[in-house]
Amino acid sequence: MKNFKFFITKIFLRKAILSIAMLLLFFMANYTIFTAARSILSTFQGYQEIKYMDQEGTYIANLDPDSNIDIDAIVENGTQIVYDYLNNNLKYAFYTDGFIVSLPNNDDMEISLNYMNEEYYKLNQFELSQGTDLDFDYQLDNNKEIPILIGKGLSKTYPVGSTIKIEDPVLEQSINLKVHGVLKKNAYHSNFYALNSKNYYNFSVFLPVNEDFIKHANIDLQLNGLMDVIILQTTKEKVEDLSEIMKENLGLKFNFFSQKENYEYFNEYYLHSLKIISIITLILLVIITGLSIWSALVSIRLMLKDFTINLLVGLSYSKLRKIFYSYYGILFFLNLIVVFFITAYSRYGCWLRKDATFVTYGVFGLIGMDWFALLVVFIFDIIIGMIIVENMLRKIKKVPISLGVLQ
Amino acid sequence: MGRSLFRFVDRLELCITYLFCFSLNLIFDYVKTLSLDSYILKAFLESFVDHQTLINLLFTFIVVVFHYQMLHRKKTEIYCRILVGDILFNITIRYTLECLTILGLVYLLLIVINVYLNFNLTSNLYLVCIFVIYILISASQVGKYEKF
Amino acid sequence: MKKIIDLHIKEKVYKKKKTQLSILNNFRLEVNAGEKIAIVGESGVGKSSLLNIIGLLDKDYSGEYTLFGSLTDNLQASELAQWRNQKLGFVLQESALINSLTIEDNIKLPLHYAGSRKKEFKLEDFENVINAIEIKPILKKKPLDCSGGEKARAVFARGIIMKPQIILSDEPTASLDVDNRERIVNLLFKMNKEFNTTIITVTHDLEVAKLHDRVIHLERSK
Repeated sequence: MKNFKFFITKIFLRKAILSIAMLLLFFMANYTIFTAARSILSTFQGYQEIKYMDQEGTYIANLDPDSNIDIDAIVENGTQIVYDYLNNNLKYAFYTDGFIVSLPNNDDMEISLNYMNEEYYKLNQFELSQGTDLDFDYQLDNNKEIPILIGKGLSKTYPVGSTIKIEDPVLEQSINLKVHGVLKKNAYHSNFYALNSKNYYNFSVFLPVNEDFIKHANIDLQLNGLMDVIILQTTKEKVEDLSEIMKENLGLKFNFFSQKENYEYFNEYYLHSLKIISIITLILLVIITGLSIWSALVSIRLMLKDFTINLLVGLSYSKLRKIFYSYYGILFFLNLIVVFFITAYSRYGCWLRKDATFVTYGVFGLIGMDWFALLVVFIFDIIIGMIIVENMLRKIKKVPISLGVLQ
Repeated sequence: MGRSLFRFVDRLELCITYLFCFSLNLIFDYVKTLSLDSYILKAFLESFVDHQTLINLLFTFIVVVFHYQMLHRKKTEIYCRILVGDILFNITIRYTLECLTILGLVYLLLIVINVYLNFNLTSNLYLVCIFVIYILISASQVGKYEKF
Repeated sequence: MKKIIDLHIKEKVYKKKKTQLSILNNFRLEVNAGEKIAIVGESGVGKSSLLNIIGLLDKDYSGEYTLFGSLTDNLQASELAQWRNQKLGFVLQESALINSLTIEDNIKLPLHYAGSRKKEFKLEDFENVINAIEIKPILKKKPLDCSGGEKARAVFARGIIMKPQIILSDEPTASLDVDNRERIVNLLFKMNKEFNTTIITVTHDLEVAKLHDRVIHLERSK
């Protein structure tokens, strides 16, 4: 410890520019690894989520990119015809979100109302931290309470059993809601076509919708619901018929992708992207490690005399190795702390901006994905540290002690 | 060798450090022109491109390291040259001019590449200013090594 | 005999962080051409500082210094540099070599600053110095590949390559074995004998000091 303190204060910090350069290079390495690890992990999380839906006979709707949406041209009657066709001929999972409503809560967040039908609920298997499952078999009546699930962030303001009165933006009338259950914290939903991006449900309210509800809802809900509608236990021919119906009544072309097509899409699109990300990260890491080795060898050039004098008076190479590892360990640790704070601050920023769809609960502000990415960074830090230290020692061992002392 | 403090390897090192920093900026500019279909790749690259200036600035620190170690290594040489008839002022001027020449040549090369790729010529200018500042700061440190 | 150095130092002050040290108080030195002078004294009395002042490397003192009949105060930095190049030769310890240059380049370093005198310099002159000092085999080597004695001779060669009128040597034999020490001292005295070169040597070695015409004992200022 005494030796280490001596080396830090009397040798390394006396040429502080070199230490700062190392810190900055390590920061870049850590930031790159952290960003890549999180992107890859988040994509795989999204893939796991979509796998629930990706079963034989399941087709996910996707608006054709060449379609132009002209809301004014679409009439409510048109959407209802599509829903009638769906209700009579197919089994479908319905989900739509992002209807903002003003609902008082402790954190002063804007609340997003999410609507889903029973099939969607079954597919997703939402995990609850409190309460019971949703009941979809209710009557839409002014006095009746609709059972809902809420995000963790609302559970203090609205505990299980409490009732909420809101002006529903899709029914355009007042409705009474009753809290049936609370979702586990950080429950999320990945974008089907951008699997690495997520919406968190901590400040969301889930309303169960049934055929009656959809019928009474405005065109916004009806149309949005069709955008990502999932058709279950069906055939290619049937969805092609549905696509025709949609084209006739809405004037929009929808594509329906099967499990196989989605899998191929994943392989082509996501795996390819992930491969490119991995290659870019690797190239950046090789460059940064190369620069770090250069900077470390520069340090050796300038501090050779200090090192060799210590070796001359009794410091062993193994002790010097330990000192180097401890020194670089500290630099890496400082960087990990910096990355930790940046991430925590960015997560906290969502709270400050009242960005309800990105607000998360975590350990010291970081959620599981962040901790995992930090672990990956830590492992890479060990590898980079080993490469640098062993190179430094090899360089020092090459120079005879007598020559180094005289330099 | 002549009166210069620079050897071939020093010039090469400085060229490479400048080239690296300019190339990094060039790559950022190139990435910005890509119209990527992949949302995930776009999001990943954006996390770097959004901080382009900061990342470039962090990497310019390798130029600081070059100047620092260069002058440290040339301590004896500066003293020896003064002994045999040089003066500190001239050493400093020569050092500054040589650094500026290398910077100028590398920048010229980058201008040619920028023109070839049809990129904005001014996007590198702030790096040139920063490097000039580094050169001037390091030149002001030459005097520290006058005494052996 | 012609007086070439007339130096009167009133005071030389060394400033450190919080303290300041006054050395060479009211010091006077007169040297004639061709004289051999040894400067001795304990560490810290200002031997090397005196050599720096004589060698025109340090002007930060109060006093007057006349060299070759000219008051050095009136000389520009470029003129002082020219004098260092052509009239003064420095023979320092072996470590005063540039490690990235070969021994040959180190020895020829003063030629780069010789201006018009460079034309007068002939290859034979260089060959003569090399042969006299016996360093031909190491010319292409880098200092780090040479022994202490070889480096000391290289430093010596660089100091005399311009045929200076005064050689200032600072502990030239400090880290050398007996053979090499004798060699360097003999070379210095040979220069003095053949070219009437003035020799001023700072040394701790009293044996070496005794070989000079005059020994100046520096004492700590009170």
